[in-house]
Amino acid sequence: MSLIKNRKLITGLFVFFLGFNASVYAEKTSKIDSAVNTEKALEAKDVVLLFQDTLLGVMKKGAELGFKGRYQALEPAIVKSHDLAKVARIVVGKEWKSFSQEQKQKLNEVFSRLSIASYAHNFKGFSGESFEYLSEDETARGGRIIHSVFVLPEDKNVKFDYMLKKKAGNWLIINVIANGVSDLALKRSEYTSILKREGFEALIAKISEKIDNYTNQ
Amino acid sequence: MFSTQLKKDNSTLFIVLFLSIFLFLTGCASHTVLETGVKSVGIHAQEIDPYENFNRKSYAFNEVLDNYVAEPIADVYLWITPKVVQTGVSNFFSNLNEINVVLNDIMQGKLLQGSEDTGRFIVNSTIGLGGLFDVAKELGLEKHDEDFSQTLAVWGVPQGPYLVIPVLGPMTTRGIPGGLFDIAANPTSYVGGIFFPVQLLQVLNARASADGDLRFIDEAALDPYIFTREAFLQYRKNLIADGNVEIEDNIFDLEDELFDEDEEISDKLNNMNNNKFNEQEERQLQQAEAGIVEADLDAKIEALRLKIKLRSANQHGVNNN
Repeated sequence: MSLIKNRKLITGLFVFFLGFNASVYAEKTSKIDSAVNTEKALEAKDVVLLFQDTLLGVMKKGAELGFKGRYQALEPAIVKSHDLAKVARIVVGKEWKSFSQEQKQKLNEVFSRLSIASYAHNFKGFSGESFEYLSEDETARGGRIIHSVFVLPEDKNVKFDYMLKKKAGNWLIINVIANGVSDLALKRSEYTSILKREGFEALIAKISEKIDNYTNQ
Repeated sequence: MFSTQLKKDNSTLFIVLFLSIFLFLTGCASHTVLETGVKSVGIHAQEIDPYENFNRKSYAFNEVLDNYVAEPIADVYLWITPKVVQTGVSNFFSNLNEINVVLNDIMQGKLLQGSEDTGRFIVNSTIGLGGLFDVAKELGLEKHDEDFSQTLAVWGVPQGPYLVIPVLGPMTTRGIPGGLFDIAANPTSYVGGIFFPVQLLQVLNARASADGDLRFIDEAALDPYIFTREAFLQYRKNLIADGNVEIEDNIFDLEDELFDEDEEISDKLNNMNNNKFNEQEERQLQQAEAGIVEADLDAKIEALRLKIKLRSANQHGVNNN
């Protein structure tokens, strides 16, 4: 009874942090390449596809790279395709305004490290997964949603939706929604709750602990 | 409720034992057991989870039970059982649950899906050797996820508060009747006596299947209670909507949040040394307005906001003077 739900939730959550494999078609890749080469701003869709492609590459070499290697390989790709500063600001909610400049910087720093470390930790290997682009939507306020599906050879597909927002002319990922579970909403609930119950230092300590766990596993 | 369902069972002891183990293990196993249909998650935490203090205690209690009883048993099961057997067991119970899926398909008016799921049940029960193999999937009949809690949501029954019941695990008030119906519609609820091990196996299978899930929560969650609650509520909401409505809701929540940032910019403007329309602000407004030519919605909204703020700043300045 609960089995099926569990399995899907696992898959959704897992995949969410685990991996976004991109099966990017040749034409798409070349389009992205030419955009990258000419340093023209990428379309929202291409930002997602390019990021997925990088992840796929890291996954395929996952074992030989090791955690450190994966972290280093993913860092520039994540920083370039995600608006981590905005995400860090959103996940702490209204508390952001009460932080000092030092606290804001500290949060940005540990949040970025956590984001990259969790990718590096979870993108360990590759077993035939692929990623299919479905469609693109524009939101009421000018954002973009890239709909896609993560195809698992041995399991039911997982819906993957990326939300992007334009910043200084570039499309950046601010949320990933896996089978309806929004990373941003989930983190926001956790972070605001911790801030309310235990305060800023506790939040930073918990994030740092997660980074250590990922690094040392 | 349970005892009437299980009246045929010869041994009362078995019933009690089964129930206590079943309820406990499924509760621990699942973190996803029953139901909801939330509107927005996170932002309205107090509305959704008014009993958080109690729920946290239940959650902690369930965690201890899981860590000391369910998890060790599941670990042994996973260790001694070959993967192919685990999959077979999983398929078998999933197939029995197909009856409930079909009933709920029909009650939600999804007749085509109902016929597909009936097909799945027939194919898997026969060619799939009593459900051990998911042959229907190979034939293109994907499994659907339906239960009575979802049906109640479709019928408009409100979700009610989020609850963590000791032993049972997470649910919402709507999930209580939902869960009872699901148990009643599952054939394994009616077997007893020599089939008692089947029920035990079902429980074990449920916990074992959730193993990766639970480990993931341990690994990723800063606050496992909140993580579980949010993931549970969002995931259930997505199931009720069959994966269709969710995104829009999320976008609204998130974009509202993003707009707070614009307010910050406005705050900064208001806090500038003087309240008068200075050159810098004017330039900012011109730049923002230029964005409209490029049909950039962001720039347009930004321009409007600046305009309003600057106007009020001006007025404020005049008043002060």
